[in-house]
Amino acid sequence: MGSVPLVPPPLPPVAASFSGDRSEFRRLVTRGALLELVTVGFYRFWLATDIRRHLWTHTAVEGDAFEYTGRGKELLVGFLFALAILVPIYLAYFLVGIEAERLKAFASFPLFAFLYVFGQFAIYRARRYRLTRTVWCGVRFWMEGSGWAYAARAALWAVLMLLTLGLILPWREAALERYKMRHSHYGDLQGRFEATGWEFFKRGWWIWLLGIASVTLPAVVIGLATAYAPARLPLAKLATTGNPVLVIAMLVAGPILYAVFKALEWRWWLSGIRFGDVRFEATLSRGALIGLYWKVIGWLVLISVAFGGYLYLCMQLVVRATEMPMDRFLASGGLQGNILFLVLVGIGYLPFALLFNVVMRVYLMRDVWVRLVGSTQVHGLGTLADVSVRGDLASAVGEGLADGLDVVGF
Amino acid sequence: MSMSMDSAPLQEPAPPGASGSAVYFDGSSSRRHLVTPVFKDRLELDETGEATVVWSYDDIRRADGPPGVLRLRCVTALALARLEIRDASVASELVSRCARLDEHAPGRHGVGAIIGWSLAAAASIVAVVLFGVPLAADRLTPLVPQALERRFGDAADAQVKAFFGDKICNEAAGQQAFSKLVDRLRDAAGLDNSVGAAVLATPIPNAFALPGGRIYVFSGLLAKVDNPDEIAGVLAHELGHLKHRDSVREVIHNGGSSFLIGLLFGDITGSGAVIFASRSLVTASYSREAEQDADSFAIDVMHRLGRSPKGLGELLFRVTGKEGDKSLSILANHPLTEDRLKRMNEEDRPPSGPPLLTDPEWIALKAICG
Repeated sequence: MGSVPLVPPPLPPVAASFSGDRSEFRRLVTRGALLELVTVGFYRFWLATDIRRHLWTHTAVEGDAFEYTGRGKELLVGFLFALAILVPIYLAYFLVGIEAERLKAFASFPLFAFLYVFGQFAIYRARRYRLTRTVWCGVRFWMEGSGWAYAARAALWAVLMLLTLGLILPWREAALERYKMRHSHYGDLQGRFEATGWEFFKRGWWIWLLGIASVTLPAVVIGLATAYAPARLPLAKLATTGNPVLVIAMLVAGPILYAVFKALEWRWWLSGIRFGDVRFEATLSRGALIGLYWKVIGWLVLISVAFGGYLYLCMQLVVRATEMPMDRFLASGGLQGNILFLVLVGIGYLPFALLFNVVMRVYLMRDVWVRLVGSTQVHGLGTLADVSVRGDLASAVGEGLADGLDVVGF
Repeated sequence: MSMSMDSAPLQEPAPPGASGSAVYFDGSSSRRHLVTPVFKDRLELDETGEATVVWSYDDIRRADGPPGVLRLRCVTALALARLEIRDASVASELVSRCARLDEHAPGRHGVGAIIGWSLAAAASIVAVVLFGVPLAADRLTPLVPQALERRFGDAADAQVKAFFGDKICNEAAGQQAFSKLVDRLRDAAGLDNSVGAAVLATPIPNAFALPGGRIYVFSGLLAKVDNPDEIAGVLAHELGHLKHRDSVREVIHNGGSSFLIGLLFGDITGSGAVIFASRSLVTASYSREAEQDADSFAIDVMHRLGRSPKGLGELLFRVTGKEGDKSLSILANHPLTEDRLKRMNEEDRPPSGPPLLTDPEWIALKAICG
């Protein structure tokens, strides 16, 4: 027998697990979409809550499942508060916009910048609401910090993003996540974010380069050919945007690159999160999300074809109602401004939009979540054995603002 | 054996399951307490053989838990205190004792109530859009200061010039004739000299009035005009819009109704199309009314000058052609041209006043763009 070690060896990492049933989730979002239709959209607060409850309660670490304690009614109240804040802002925005347009046409464009900053504030506060409704082992997560300080940082980084054509994205994400995580807590354990922009850049720089190249190279090649060798212009077009094979290749590559980018981003983000000695490790492979994005694209094509068929039927119906040959009808621009046609399109559009929402929620919300959780290992869980409850609940106004401004953030 | 069987109902049932069959979090820390639920007149949770926690059955509520785990909270305990039971028989025993387990349970939000309130909210928004907003637009329009209206106009002017180019036609003789025509109409319409008109060089056959009093006639329309009465009718129609301050009313009306409809559909992704469609439904009848009023105004002004409004109808017909077979007349967003032509023809009277422009002036006006 050797000597007994004074320090216990570190516990082996524990895998996170997801136990939810896919068909149950599908039923949940389908029913939710129908209810959204019946309630002209007001059900969205309860649907968002039910989706989170499903995802949270079926996610477990070391057998202990999370709990989401938010309620739909809170989101509704938050939305109403947000309206009270947004209505005067929109009115002021309108009047300031008029003044700016008077000086120069379309000068009101920079005012979008203000709404962008406001959107970032909403994103911060929305995350704070969600975090304070997350409970694990009888202790809640919580968040402090200033939404405005965050929004100011996000805006400055957005300017840098524009100046560097997006090259700085990894450092922007790292810096913003550092601010968010520094102010996040699990009970009395403070969070932090330790992944660096450089690590993300090292893994994903080639995606950025391909993206930039696909836009700038054809422009440069065609531009040069036009300026210096007009005779070679057809050749230049064949080598770039004029070549159907190349264009199809780019269309196929786009979603794949985006899926790889998202997988890298998730993996990098999870690996940087710390609560005390607890750290996460995701083994999500680069290609893990490609299939999901293609399935969504497949559904989108199917839904578009079906909607196209519906539009054709509507057109036939309207043409028959006006008793005019189809070609003359179209030539006279009869469809534009034809209210009956617009009404039919509007009525048909809603079910298709809702169906696509169901597809998005199943593939890009639930399936991405499941893959991410399934590939996650948690290290240093021992620290969490005795964490004290701290922190207060945050209001849902941030969620309401994010809803009202149509911003999505995490 | 039989003795104990008989006395069993009097005794507390033996705690089912092995000791430590449930996990308890006390709501102040994440420490796991392995406890044994003991069913007495209240629920006792025994840790190391003694009852550390006692919950009344009536205070116990269900919390969200994963499949196979009964997760409970207690309304009189700390908000985050949780009891998790995995043993199915213990769970069903406990469920049978807690009468108010599912009171205010998550997910049991009355769907009927949500639908009812949503439909009520939708109905009230639709009612406001159909009746409230037009009324508010009518009442608010006179309250909007002229200065503000002129600012709207300046903003719109910059956009018009950005879209259609800023080439104003001002050949000297033509401009003189045009000013004379506009002045006579303005006096007859009872408008002050804040109202001005100009010919903009663009091939589209159109004319419109901007808020604040600026009227633009496009050279494409001027090219189709056959006599001074026709262009006078168009100008009188636009003066009617200015007199009624229709553009201010339209801004309030469109802004209000699109905001409310947007509020209604909220977050259903890409609802823009629906909003657009319903807005044009709403504004259709409104514009129709405003156009008819402007037509009445134009007829009135032309009569006052002793000229016939017939030319306006003929010019419109020449520009748009017959419209009746294009769309359902009730849903069309402006009065049908043939109806307007008919109305102008009914108002036709032999001229009692002098021609609005002399022949040389008319020729100069037609050549205003050089």
